[in-house]
Amino acid sequence: MSESPSGLQVPSDIQDEYSEVLRDYIVRPNEQALRRAYEIGRRTLTSGAGVLGIAALHHEALKDVMPSLSAQIEEGLLIKRAEEVFVESLMPFEMSHRAFGDAIAVLRRMNERIEEEAKRIAHALHEEAGGLLSATHLALEELARDLSPEGTERLTLVRRLLDQMDEQLRQLAHEIRPTVLDDLGLLPALDFLASGVSSRSGVAITVEGSTEGRLPSAVETTLYRNVQEALNNVIRHAKANKVAVVVTREAHAVRCSVCDDGVGFDVSAVIAARSERGLGHVGMRERLDSHRGTLLVTSTPGHGAELLMYIPLEG
Amino acid sequence: MPLLANRKGRMDIRNDDDVIAARQKGRMLAGEIGFSPMEQAMLAAVITELARNIVDYAGRGEMLFHAVEDQGRRGIVVIARDEGPGIPNLKEALQASYSVAGGLGLGLRGIKALMDSLDIISVPGKKTTVTARKWRAGSPPAPSYDHGGGQ
Repeated sequence: MSESPSGLQVPSDIQDEYSEVLRDYIVRPNEQALRRAYEIGRRTLTSGAGVLGIAALHHEALKDVMPSLSAQIEEGLLIKRAEEVFVESLMPFEMSHRAFGDAIAVLRRMNERIEEEAKRIAHALHEEAGGLLSATHLALEELARDLSPEGTERLTLVRRLLDQMDEQLRQLAHEIRPTVLDDLGLLPALDFLASGVSSRSGVAITVEGSTEGRLPSAVETTLYRNVQEALNNVIRHAKANKVAVVVTREAHAVRCSVCDDGVGFDVSAVIAARSERGLGHVGMRERLDSHRGTLLVTSTPGHGAELLMYIPLEG
Repeated sequence: MPLLANRKGRMDIRNDDDVIAARQKGRMLAGEIGFSPMEQAMLAAVITELARNIVDYAGRGEMLFHAVEDQGRRGIVVIARDEGPGIPNLKEALQASYSVAGGLGLGLRGIKALMDSLDIISVPGKKTTVTARKWRAGSPPAPSYDHGGGQ
C-alpha cells in the first residue's frame, strides 16, 4: 500500500482479503469468490474510500498474486478472471453512481413542479386579483359621479389604498414568479430584479454579460433564484455600496457571479451554521445540484464577497 | 409475456450459502439467454441485495428466476418473496437516501438503477414481493462466465 497516493488507502485487512479472493478465483473460478469480491466493494464504498480505493486495492492484489500464479495459469485466462473479480468489486460503486443519477432526476422534477406551482400562483395574483381590482376601480369611478365633492374626496382616499394594494400584488406576483423571466429571459429579469432591490435598498447594483440566446428554462430559473437570494443576503448582512452581477456564456456552460464590496464573512462558519444565511447557501446549492452545477463562495472578513455559480449545459 | 420453457429456477433463501447459490443460478440463466458478462454481474449484484434483504429482515424467503421473451427481446425476471415484516415507508425507501439494506443508497434504489423495472408489493407485518426485470441489451449473444470446475 505504500505506493498508493494518500486518501486512497483501504484498511489492510480488506487488502489481504481481496488478495485472497483474487487468488482463489483465478485458480478456481467460483461464485463464492465473486460474492466476496462484491462484499469487499460494498464495504469499501461504505468506508468512503471511493472507486480509486478499489482500483488501488486491485492493483496491489494483482502485484501480490501474479508472480506465483503466472507459472500455472495461462496469461489471457488469468487477466480475464482477474477482471471478473474486479468488476464484482466495482458493482456497488456502479449501483451507487446510477442511483445518484436517479436522485438528481427526482430533484430536478421536484424543482420544476415547484416552479410550475409558483407560476400558477403568480398568474392568479397578477391576472385574477389584478382584474378584480381594475373592476373595483371602474365601479368606484361610476359611484364618484353621484357623489358630492366631499364624498369624491373621501373616495379618492379609498382609491389610493387600492392603488397601493395593486402595487403590492404586482410586487408579490413578481417575486413569486417574474413573468419577465419567461417572456424575455435571464438578463432582462436580472436587470428588473436589480433595479427593484437597488431602489429599495440604495445599494448600486449592476448587471452585465450575456447568455447568447435563451438558456433552458430550468437553468434560467435556478440562476435567477440564486441571484435573488444572493442579493437578499448582501442587502441584509454585507453593508455594501456596490454589487456586480456578471453572466458569462461559455461553450458548454454558463457562469454567473455576484460580487459585493461589503464587510465580508467567514465562509466556513456561515455555511456550517444552520443560520438563515447558511440555509440560504444550502438552498442555492440544492438548486444547482439538480443541474450538476457548482457553487463557489469566496470571502474574507473586511474585503467583500464573491459568489460564483457554474452550470454545465447539455448538448 | 411468454416464459421460456425450462429457463427458470426457484431457490429457498435462508442463509449466506443460499445467497451464493441464487447468484450462481441467476448468472447461469442470464448467460444462457445471452446476457453479457457485465449484465450478468449486474444481475448478480441485484440478486445479492434482494437476497440480503430477505435474510436480514425476514429470516427466510424464496427467489424465483424466469427467462422471458417479448417481441423478440429476451430478459430475466427475478422475484424475491418473503413473509417478513414488510417494508415500512416504502416511498422513502425508494426515493430518498434511506435504504432498507442500509448504506449509501444501495438496497432498493441501487437495484432500481441496475434493472429496467422494479415492482414492490409490501404488506407491513405480512409479506413483501419484489419483482425486478432486466432486458438484454441489443448486443449479439455473448459467452457466459467460465466457471470451470466451480459449479
